[in-house]
Amino acid sequence: MEKLVDILKKLDRRWIFLLIFLSCIIPFWFPTLFKQEFSTSKETQRVYDIIESLNEGDAVFIDWAFNPTLQAELLPMTEQTIKQCFDNKLRVFIYYPDLTAISLGENLVANIIKEEKYSKMEKGVDYIHLGYLPISIDMMIFSMYSDFKSTFGKEGKIFKGIKTFNDIKYMISFAGSAHPEYYLLLQRRFGFRMGAGVTAVTGPDFIPYLQTGQLDGLLFGLKGAAEYENLRLKNLNVSGDQFKKEKKLNQKANAGMASLTLSHLIMFVFIGIGNLIYFYEKKYKKSN
Amino acid sequence: MKKEIPILIGFFATIGWYLEFFFAGTFFENWKMFFTTGFRSVAIVGLLVGVVNVLRVNYSRIKYNNDRWYSIYQMSIIFLMVILASLRGVSPGTPFDAMYTFGFIPLDATVFSLLAFYVASASYRSFKIKSIESAFLLVAAILIMLSKMPLGEAMWSKIPAIGEWIMDGPTSAGKRAILFGAYLGGLTMMIRIAFGLEKSHLSD
Repeated sequence: MEKLVDILKKLDRRWIFLLIFLSCIIPFWFPTLFKQEFSTSKETQRVYDIIESLNEGDAVFIDWAFNPTLQAELLPMTEQTIKQCFDNKLRVFIYYPDLTAISLGENLVANIIKEEKYSKMEKGVDYIHLGYLPISIDMMIFSMYSDFKSTFGKEGKIFKGIKTFNDIKYMISFAGSAHPEYYLLLQRRFGFRMGAGVTAVTGPDFIPYLQTGQLDGLLFGLKGAAEYENLRLKNLNVSGDQFKKEKKLNQKANAGMASLTLSHLIMFVFIGIGNLIYFYEKKYKKSN
Repeated sequence: MKKEIPILIGFFATIGWYLEFFFAGTFFENWKMFFTTGFRSVAIVGLLVGVVNVLRVNYSRIKYNNDRWYSIYQMSIIFLMVILASLRGVSPGTPFDAMYTFGFIPLDATVFSLLAFYVASASYRSFKIKSIESAFLLVAAILIMLSKMPLGEAMWSKIPAIGEWIMDGPTSAGKRAILFGAYLGGLTMMIRIAFGLEKSHLSD
């Protein structure tokens, strides 16, 4: 027993790295390794319902505050939000508070409009990339409430009827940091409706804002993204081959769920072993 | 006067922004636009200072052979991206975009993904039940993790509800306490800066 404990205690961390690597990779070849059914949280449902309740032509402001480091969690939920807006013929304004995010966003929208269903979406009419502004979010909000269009210096039919940020019906901020809090600081003053899509690590930081009603909804980590994908698929009202086609295009977060599960299980096992060694040693030392 | 004038500017700016919350009108609209434009100018100058600083640091490294090849590589990439963006733009399908998609995205994502490996290794070595508090922490962490993966719900249908309760109750209460503390601290700092009691932002 002592020998085993000694081996485990001195276990080279490269073995842990290897197991975590395999647990992340293997499920992509065996996506049905674990049961993939899960319920939808009320926060995800709220984001979906709000966007669904908007009228044709309403404007949605997307705050894209993440770069490639967080794309595994946040890109699928952003993709589904943009697609849902396009499905409902909403006008989409995408703002990038991070310079390194612009190309990521432009590429995602370019890929979405490659899909037959969204091929008629036009830049400057149905959606627009507002680019990056070298000012703080509070300054930007004040500026948007004075003159929305001149804040970004962009032109297009999409701005028709949008004078100030008051004319934006819903805004959603995607971030892996406390970034949405900058909007929330002024949310009560101006009263704009707001949702957020955040990583699982930062998610708990936003629960108080959900409770106060400052946030209308929250997409929480990879599971939130997967729930959102499933919600959209369920409500697309398509069947047969069309459903299979849609499923293939809208399962990026779901594809990662098995990997997420297995890697967490590996971590549980290691935490368990670590604690067993700790208790064994404690007992052994006491008895000696 | 080197200190007094910035303190006076800070004082009047604070008072102005504070009053702006209570009064509407053209004066305060112009006030906001003045600061918005001012911030943009400052940020652009800041960006230029950053670029000049990167050039200076790397130039001296190349000159004195201090990790010369890393600096040459860094400078080449910076200039290459600037040249590609200037020549063909940055929209999807351009060479700049190809560099971004096939270079920057995988490298950026790879560096961040290393975190998963270190978290796993660290939790094996240090996530131990050494006290009642750490036992609570471990149980709560495992329940939250289970509630955020499909397996948790498959194991027991109540797991997501338990996870939600932990988040809505104890976690949220702790977060609120931290937030109150942080914002009270922020308010105190604002008052200190406005009255010139805090001078660290003036390199004092």
